[in-house]
Amino acid sequence: MLKYGLAYGLLSSRRRARQMLLPAITIATGAFLVVIVFAMSAGIKKQATALGHADEIGHAIVLIAVTVLLVGVVEAAVATTRTIAHRTRELGVLGATGVRSRPVLVALLVEPVVTAFFGALGGAVLAAVAGAVLGAVGAAESGVSASGTVTGLVIAVAVSVVAAAVTSVVPIWRAVHHPPIKSLSAS
Amino acid sequence: MTAFEILNQTETSKKTEAASPDPRSALPTNPGGTFGRLMRFALANIRRRPERFALSVLGIALAIAAVTVVRTISTSFAITGGDSVTNAIGSHAIWVVPAQGVTYSAATGALVSNGPPSAITLPAGWTGTEMIAGAWHSPHGQVAVYGVAGTAEGKAVLSAQLAQRLGVSDGGPLLLGSHTVTVAVRGGSPALTVSPDLAQDIVGNVGWWVADEPAIDHGRNDMGQLFGTAVGLPSTQDPAQAPDKNGKGLVYDTTTGSGALSFAQKYASAFSGQVTDSTLGLISIIGLALGFVIAVSSFLASVQERRREFGIMSSIGLADEVLYFFLVESGVVFVAAWLIGVLAAGVAVWAVLPHLATPVAWAQASATVAAFLPAMAIVGAIVPVHRLLQQRPVALLAD
Repeated sequence: MLKYGLAYGLLSSRRRARQMLLPAITIATGAFLVVIVFAMSAGIKKQATALGHADEIGHAIVLIAVTVLLVGVVEAAVATTRTIAHRTRELGVLGATGVRSRPVLVALLVEPVVTAFFGALGGAVLAAVAGAVLGAVGAAESGVSASGTVTGLVIAVAVSVVAAAVTSVVPIWRAVHHPPIKSLSAS
Repeated sequence: MTAFEILNQTETSKKTEAASPDPRSALPTNPGGTFGRLMRFALANIRRRPERFALSVLGIALAIAAVTVVRTISTSFAITGGDSVTNAIGSHAIWVVPAQGVTYSAATGALVSNGPPSAITLPAGWTGTEMIAGAWHSPHGQVAVYGVAGTAEGKAVLSAQLAQRLGVSDGGPLLLGSHTVTVAVRGGSPALTVSPDLAQDIVGNVGWWVADEPAIDHGRNDMGQLFGTAVGLPSTQDPAQAPDKNGKGLVYDTTTGSGALSFAQKYASAFSGQVTDSTLGLISIIGLALGFVIAVSSFLASVQERRREFGIMSSIGLADEVLYFFLVESGVVFVAAWLIGVLAAGVAVWAVLPHLATPVAWAQASATVAAFLPAMAIVGAIVPVHRLLQQRPVALLAD
């Protein structure tokens, strides 16, 4: 049943691609920053050294970049609450026709997870391209690290997907366990 | 009808009037007045979609936490910058720095010079002295050493905190390079003060000049220009201006001049600007912008779901009240996010930046961030409601 839930979720995600654009952009912004911070860690470390307390400021920059990424991911969860509100009757129909809660949960989780994955990947790729261009034109004095770019990309995508699933699961869980009769009678 | 009957009837009528209840008393009481009602309405709406409220608060709180962390660092820098310049030059009106400039040494917690004091001769009537200021690599880490004229030979003045760090006590000996000096514990300066000759022996010929105007020029607001012209150096009241590396030095006028801020305050501001203008500042501002997007997006969703409700309100002339509902709801969201955000920032600062930030800096940063909130809360509420109120009530009811 789970694979049907997954397929249903992917199909409805395609239908709601436009609604997923804003959360994807906010996630991409956060991912862009994370990848840039990791890719240009040498230059940022130099700046942190100039400010004094190089290690502490270096840690603070990474912490804040990841925090901004999480802010972007929360928008995906807010969009999920909007999706749930729009699809209340649909969930009621699924519940009333005997579809179990787990595949419905998976179907609804697909949207934030897909948004987070593609948003983070888009932002990370954009950051890698921007880093490469900056490195090529010599705008990044301390250079752009390829390993840092890959590390940033992996962290951005992994954090986005996990955070999107974690923040979205509670509203989805509540919606899925709503009595079908109440969902069907919702205005 | 007799007069008695008329009088009796009037009395009965009065009694009936007194016994009839005031129609207003039948209405429900509303504790807290209009604001109380708006607050209850906002809370009722929050209860309707608690997950969205929690997520909006979480998103904005994360953004506020990021900005608060950066502001805490910049405020700490401002406090450090202000203190370090006061410790370095005291109350002298003129500060002449070498062409190589001066640097705040985080390891020593004080300003040190990057080059030898400028080769100048004090103009007639001016009083001043050359000061040695460099970093000494002690066995207990780096220590700033200031050579100040008037300090007794063979004596080292240092704060109790520095004495503890160096493991010395008042009246005891301190091995300073190849010299043994007697410790005098006083003051709160992070630098160790000795005689200029000894300081030069320890840290080399690095330092600056400090000077004061003659009594006749007291109160002038062009002191720097006056001194600079006399010694042949450029002058400024702006601490953010660095000396020309190919020049001979720069004269800082540390008097308030025509501005409202003291030199130490301006120096502190330039110091904190290094943080807010850095990568940290940029990232945190982007984070705050994303937090605002979350707020607007959440309110737009709320407006969309309650179109009929607001259609009814608009159709009976309560269009303005819709805005008030959202303003109060937005205020609740932002205040809750601010509380969580500044507390999270406090924890993050304590865990990640224990040596850099202080509780005072965190409190000041939290207050600074609170100043952004009213504007964000108001705009966050107005944008979705404006879109809603542009539509005719019948269009809202038709959906």
